Amino acid sequence: MSPAERPLSPHLQIYRPQLTSVLSITHRGTGVALGIGTIFFVWWLSGAAWSGACFSAAQAFWDSWLGKLFLFGWTFSLFYHLLNGVRHLLWDIGIGFDLRSTYRTGWTVVAFSVLLTVFAFGGGLYVWSAL
Amino acid sequence: MERAVTGTGAIRHWCAQRISALALIALMLWLIEAIFAHLGEDRAQIRTWLGQPVPAVVAAALVALAFFHLALGVRVVLEDYVQTPARLAAALAANRIACWALALIALAAIVTLAFGL
Repeated sequence: MSPAERPLSPHLQIYRPQLTSVLSITHRGTGVALGIGTIFFVWWLSGAAWSGACFSAAQAFWDSWLGKLFLFGWTFSLFYHLLNGVRHLLWDIGIGFDLRSTYRTGWTVVAFSVLLTVFAFGGGLYVWSAL
Repeated sequence: MERAVTGTGAIRHWCAQRISALALIALMLWLIEAIFAHLGEDRAQIRTWLGQPVPAVVAAALVALAFFHLALGVRVVLEDYVQTPARLAAALAANRIACWALALIALAAIVTLAFGL
């Protein structure tokens, strides 16, 4: 194919990321991450129902550093997807759709996702270690 | 072959995604509370907890709606990024099968726990 003579629109790699587009793709990313997380959740739940060995293996996984890393990722993904999901639902009924509000609510979602992740994960680790 | 969401299918998809999202807000708050309440419990304690009717019913609703919402969301992602029609059809089928399978296994586990089978 011969290269196009006409001017082309800027492509993803040379586009300066904006908060709006970054938050949009993060919503997808966290959704997919939570989807992958459900496999581990079903593993644990199956163990509770049918197999003590399976349950112990799942519990041992959460206890490992890799398991904790995954849990941290899912904690952030859950809070982010939840909060940004509310932002989407508000847009759907016409609230906060102007540029100024979009940026304000966007930064609010980022701040609260980080805060809630730190509090929930830190609190969870504290309770876990105190058991 | 499954086709990309168009026409009235797209409207139904859009509504379903949002209605399930609304319900999942409450269910996820329940889940967060439940995780903290049952952190570090052993298998016997988890079985006792999900052996009660209310937690079992709420957990079943959460599982059903979460996998429904997940299947809808992943479908849109696949439609956006998978280029060739044959690969898209395969990916959409895999998505449906995976979400159904995980949801059914989870629901069967909850039923087992709820009735102490």
